Amino acid sequence: MSTNNPTRTSYETATPSTGIQAFRRARKDRMVWVYVVPVTAVFLFVFVGPLIYTAWTALHETSYYQIGKFSGLNSFAELFSDSELPARIWTTLVFSLGALVIALPAGLLSAIVLNNLHRFKRSVRSLFLLPWLFSQATAGTIWLWFLNPNYGPASAITQALGFGPTDVFSSPNSALVAVTLMTAWWSYPQAMLLFLGALQTVPVELYESLKVDGGGIRHAFLNVTLPHLRNTIVSVVIVLLMLYVQMVTIILVTTRGGPIGSTETLSMRVYNQMFDRFDLSGASATAILLFAVNIVLTLVAIRFRRKESL
Amino acid sequence: MSTTTSRRQGRPGAVLRAVPAWAYVILSAAVVLPPVAWIVSTSLKTASDTIEFPPRWIPDPLSFEGYVGLLTSTNSRFFINSLIYAVGSIILALAISIPAAYVATRYRSRRMETLMTGILVLSMVPAIVVFIALYSMFVRTALINTYPLLIVVYTAIICGQTILFLRNFIENIPVEIEEAAAIDGCSRIQILWRIILPLIRPGIAAVAIFIFVFVWNDFLVGTVLATTEDMKTVQNGIVRYITTGFGSFWGLFAAFIVVAFIPVLSIFLAFQRWFVAGMTSGGVKG
Repeated sequence: MSTNNPTRTSYETATPSTGIQAFRRARKDRMVWVYVVPVTAVFLFVFVGPLIYTAWTALHETSYYQIGKFSGLNSFAELFSDSELPARIWTTLVFSLGALVIALPAGLLSAIVLNNLHRFKRSVRSLFLLPWLFSQATAGTIWLWFLNPNYGPASAITQALGFGPTDVFSSPNSALVAVTLMTAWWSYPQAMLLFLGALQTVPVELYESLKVDGGGIRHAFLNVTLPHLRNTIVSVVIVLLMLYVQMVTIILVTTRGGPIGSTETLSMRVYNQMFDRFDLSGASATAILLFAVNIVLTLVAIRFRRKESL
Repeated sequence: MSTTTSRRQGRPGAVLRAVPAWAYVILSAAVVLPPVAWIVSTSLKTASDTIEFPPRWIPDPLSFEGYVGLLTSTNSRFFINSLIYAVGSIILALAISIPAAYVATRYRSRRMETLMTGILVLSMVPAIVVFIALYSMFVRTALINTYPLLIVVYTAIICGQTILFLRNFIENIPVEIEEAAAIDGCSRIQILWRIILPLIRPGIAAVAIFIFVFVWNDFLVGTVLATTEDMKTVQNGIVRYITTGFGSFWGLFAAFIVVAFIPVLSIFLAFQRWFVAGMTSGGVKG
């Protein structure tokens, strides 16, 4: 999306003042800021205030959401000396990268397939998009019911094959795998949509000239499609990673972070510390760690947003 | 937004070429559809058939008792609440982001860009981080568990994307129209109201659709900031069957999911293009 609009405002056009110019300068007044007051107020209330409050509570003792004495960096010391923290970070990594490794190729492949289909394009697109139209809560719970060990069809299949019932959510490793797969299942259409948008900007001539030179499909993919999508791939990676790092809902409706903490990512840990253990300052400290991870991803995202001049 | 579409021509080899593509489509269908089909099937079974094992895919006898059982006052409250949250968020988000998007596009300055970048960065903050603070800030006040608080929170989460999306629309309007209006004596607010607003109607429609689906599908805000049952949302209603369920609730649960999905599905089918444009504008969702 290029935004090289020549006529912007009087700031950029330094021509001598005609009537219009004078008018424009007159509008360059402080009243402009009135228009952004409401949105600024909402953001101060919902984001800035709570973020400061989070930092504040992390620096104090709390009991049942009541702020007590100043405790310095105690809650951070507790956070980083917690023997469970490495495991939580590991879980977050496995969950995020695992879902990414599935959703990214699936999204790319779906977009390419869709872009090359001649018939039934609309229906296939709806099929590919379907998981993403569901809410996260729906996606989580319909898999929960599908994988139900007592009544679900998955269980029926594995029993018919002689493996016994599927009880994926009762053992730590399979629960983590299941939650990761569900998240990938729900989110790959988002990658697909972004790729689909980018694929439509690949000049068809490139493929045609490659065909004249005798290149095959594989060639076309490696030498035209992939290089053209390089920036898109980076932004899809960032978008998906941000989504996964802050994913709470799918985990919350299926495992709540269990069994024995095996699916408790950092985000889920914030939730559990807050609402299961009533540990506000601990939750705040974890939240700040999560926030720091997010800042890094955001910075990369902004870098690329600039580059694509969105 | 580019409107280039890839050209294609029918060749005899194209049929053979399409085989791997269709193999992929079939594979996707095999991954995407089973849980969906299973939910639809469950929703049409009698209560005792839902817990039959091994399970049957085709409901026999066909029963609508799941759907009939949904008609309780608690459930309708969930739907009404979600509708109130969605409509309220659409109105508030549009009311605050259209003026902001307008001045951010037309009166660019370094400070304005900084503010817009700030808004965009803030809207990428993980929701759970601000939710725990909002919860603990307001849990002892009368503000928690009210429509206004939840609407403001939904609006804030969605605003960054909304402004970004609307800016793209406003940028495509020629400035000359506004200048002509200004020479005719229109004030800035009149320009916004009489000229910009009618011209960005498609953008507003896309944003409204986007916000509706976002709020309708959101689970976390309702979980954290609505503390009593009568303020919860549709998505909370779905999960409630699983967390507090007793007896054979699976038929009800499945029917609830189907009914809760109908608004989103119909919006998607009716406005596919806008739907997709709105949803992919900002990147991160939910």
